[in-house]
Amino acid sequence: MKISFFRKIPIGLSSVLCLLLLNACGSLVMRPIYNLNGIIFKSSTSYREPNLGTEWLATLVSKNGKEKIELIDLRSRRVVSLPGINSSDSQPISVSVSANGEKLAFIRQRAGQTEVLIYRRKLGTLQRLEITPKGVPRRVTLDASGRVLAVQVSRGGNWQVDVIRLSS
Amino acid sequence: MLGCFGLCSCAREVQRIPKGFLSLNQRDPALSGNGKKLALIVDQNGRPTVQLKDLRNGNIVPLRYLSRHQPHTSPSLSWSARYVAAITQRGNKRLGVIEDRLTGTVHKLLIPGNRIPIRLSLAPDGRQLAIQVADKGKWRVEIFDLSRKIDPDLPVGIRGAGS
Repeated sequence: MKISFFRKIPIGLSSVLCLLLLNACGSLVMRPIYNLNGIIFKSSTSYREPNLGTEWLATLVSKNGKEKIELIDLRSRRVVSLPGINSSDSQPISVSVSANGEKLAFIRQRAGQTEVLIYRRKLGTLQRLEITPKGVPRRVTLDASGRVLAVQVSRGGNWQVDVIRLSS
Repeated sequence: MLGCFGLCSCAREVQRIPKGFLSLNQRDPALSGNGKKLALIVDQNGRPTVQLKDLRNGNIVPLRYLSRHQPHTSPSLSWSARYVAAITQRGNKRLGVIEDRLTGTVHKLLIPGNRIPIRLSLAPDGRQLAIQVADKGKWRVEIFDLSRKIDPDLPVGIRGAGS
């Protein structure tokens, strides 16, 4: 049926259709930014859960069996200090960064609790967000402004997503 | 500037958006840069599928390419959600793609070395993409420059962006 349909299309028109189909599904041959990746990422270290702002990357980094949150300024190609975020008794699970790199939302396990926190770099403050109804958070994402976040939460054996708006 | 690193539990700052997200097994959330759209993974006919929601009215925004090639994982959105990136399945291979909702085109992400993409993150302006790959028993993250390959998705007023 399909073949007979295409046979009825004039050759010129079918060429245009083919071009349209090719245009509708292209391939991006990806070139890593070698000089950037080579400088930032150390081969002895494991990186996962990347989250991009505009020229900022938040990621979980594992070295010598210990995992921590890292924020990398992609312009200066440097790891930014995050005092107060990575404590020795906590395990990070998910991280997200605002576009300007000023605010981070992250989930961590600490003392048997899994909690969502907001970190403001300029103020150096940590804010814990209550999850209601109660649940176990698993993944967090911020919008570019850092004022809206979405949290994947386990409740009663099901995954749900809460959207939370922060006033600042 | 010296900050307090103690916990401030300022719960009064939190305002929940009453959009009735009651369907089950929603996971892998990703907000658009402008905070107006949300991508999720939901089960459609038992297959993990990207769903794009408009947070202003709760409506589902239809996707063309990303209605097929399941299972999907790791959705990521640009500023206006013009670009929807996700990892899909093509045959027996995992393939990262970017669906451009403005033009209807799809860009397949061909990663050097045929490594398997695990997670994606698109910058809000769409100019950079971070991919977590498996490499020699380690997780690695690589940054890719998309600025010469796709148009930027910027807030209206800075330069034209998709709706």
